[in-house]
Amino acid sequence: MTDTPIISIRNVTKRFGSFVALEDISIDIRPGEIFALLGPSGCGKSTLLRIIAGFETPTEGDILIDGQDVTDVPPNKRPVNMVFQSYAVFPHMTVEQNVAYGLKMDRLPSSEIAPKVAEALAQVHLDKFATRMPDQLSGGQRQRVALARALVKRPRVLLLDEPLSALDAKLRDAMRLELVKLQETVGVSFVMVTHDQSEALAMADRVAVLSNGRLRQLADPMTLYQKPADAFVADFIGRVNLFDVTARNGAHVTAASIGQVPVDATALPAGEDLVVAVRPEFITLSPGAPADGSGKLKGALGDVAYQGDNSVVEVTLADGRSVQVLVTSGETAGLLGLGLGAPVSLAIDMGQVSVLRRSDL
Amino acid sequence: MAKVRKSRPGPFDYARKRSLQIVFLLTTIFLYAPILVLIIFSFNNSRRGGNVIWRGFTTDYYVKAANNASLMEAFANSITIAVISTIFSVILGAITAVTLWRFRFPLKPGYEGLVALPIVVPEICLGVAIAIFFSYFNLYMPPGTPWPFNLTNIIVAHITFSFPFAAMVIRTRLTTFNREMEEAAKDLGATEFQVFRDILLPHMKPGLIAGGLLAFTLSLDDFVITFFTSGPDTVTFPVKVYSMVRFSVTPEINAASTVLILITLILTAVAMRFQTFGDERT
Repeated sequence: MTDTPIISIRNVTKRFGSFVALEDISIDIRPGEIFALLGPSGCGKSTLLRIIAGFETPTEGDILIDGQDVTDVPPNKRPVNMVFQSYAVFPHMTVEQNVAYGLKMDRLPSSEIAPKVAEALAQVHLDKFATRMPDQLSGGQRQRVALARALVKRPRVLLLDEPLSALDAKLRDAMRLELVKLQETVGVSFVMVTHDQSEALAMADRVAVLSNGRLRQLADPMTLYQKPADAFVADFIGRVNLFDVTARNGAHVTAASIGQVPVDATALPAGEDLVVAVRPEFITLSPGAPADGSGKLKGALGDVAYQGDNSVVEVTLADGRSVQVLVTSGETAGLLGLGLGAPVSLAIDMGQVSVLRRSDL
Repeated sequence: MAKVRKSRPGPFDYARKRSLQIVFLLTTIFLYAPILVLIIFSFNNSRRGGNVIWRGFTTDYYVKAANNASLMEAFANSITIAVISTIFSVILGAITAVTLWRFRFPLKPGYEGLVALPIVVPEICLGVAIAIFFSYFNLYMPPGTPWPFNLTNIIVAHITFSFPFAAMVIRTRLTTFNREMEEAAKDLGATEFQVFRDILLPHMKPGLIAGGLLAFTLSLDDFVITFFTSGPDTVTFPVKVYSMVRFSVTPEINAASTVLILITLILTAVAMRFQTFGDERT
């Protein structure tokens, strides 16, 4: 994609006193994409969203919308709209009045407001609830009001702050799909903030992973999972086993607990602490101690977390290090029969491991 | 067959405990019996005041009270003072509450304490203080000032002690305001003023009504502070009743008091109705 970005975040730094909330962040948001800002709480993702919306001003750097510098433009004059975490639906107005509010602020004649409101409500399937008061709606319905209220203004970008965190699990799954569909229908870019990596992977076209105010990696979900930039990203996105690298040679590195891992060590960053990252699904588990010379690792069976379609099994290696292994539900039945502490052998698919910078987790 | 057990009151099932029911009954009697007696004896056909022997039903004393020009004047004064001081108290209280809630400024805790001071300062001290203040700075309305401007001193005094109450009530209401609502309105294009008018003010409404009601009732029945600031031409209902009682309690006073209770009850009912409306929408 070579489209010009809708939003350019350029070298944005935000400090609150001596606390650095964001450090030199540069991100371009493309037209028509769902972009996720992902990170643990306190990583600065919400601050970045509020800077885009105009509720915070960056200490350094600029925000450009459609190439225009809007860094000093107040939120009520920016062509972006936001869906707040609490939805912030106005309790003393009907659903209709809530959705119409932004258009009224734009001084649109009421003859133009009515059809736009009706269209927006139909888009979020709330047309039958137009005259209800917010306290007569469920949480999910209130969120739709907030969505319609923001979308009716035809923003260049829709900002969503933890859009699904206030919903219960079942509704959250349904809303994920619906938000993606809604984005396809209206065509505007969505920028969403989330701490839930599965939400980001499932919904977003591109994800920016933040931690301690720094951008760790910006990539599509598949790259994030398969080619994490460092140990933090690998650990934050999905499950991973990390082993410290103790020595490196030309053709392989040596890691604690698992021994030699074939990898071109010359391509690795010099002078930095490295780890070997192994996803639980790339370890094969078989009952019984390994035969000598098989190259398999010896371990003792630990807890089995049954998840229906598969299970996460904890295995304690000879040196006491515990490792997570993903097994199918078929294999789980056999393992449960073995009992705690039974000897097992592990085979790591060396083609699927990555050697990463350790980074401060 | 399972035996049907008579259910015993649970640990927090206070309403079903006989001992507590009796306490409740006694409390209610102690609270309301005097008022009830007052109302009943306003219909007592007794010639002399202070007589607590029932001599038959009459509404004469309501007519008599209505024809008592000085009592009616005091009544009208009280209502006028209450209405005007309530309006000012709510406006001042709202400004104070929003300032304390919204902004950070140097010496804010000190200012907060200062606002609450009239609530804790004994009324008698406040009354004396205001009276001395008015006379020292020669701020009393000159004699012969036309009604209702001759009430200005009392109104000012009433605002002084009732607006902190209004401010407290309104501020409590403000703590339940979701700041994201304000940001949402701005995000949708509203200016500061529009946010205040469209979002904050509707949220404050129940607090404004409750604060106003508090200020109104405080003003209506205030005796101590009014006593120090009222002159011979500016007698309020409580002051008038006090001077009448010094001679004798006549059923006329009972009648006037009953009317006052009725007015307060109706106003409270109206205000509570407004308040539940406000809460339904939050």
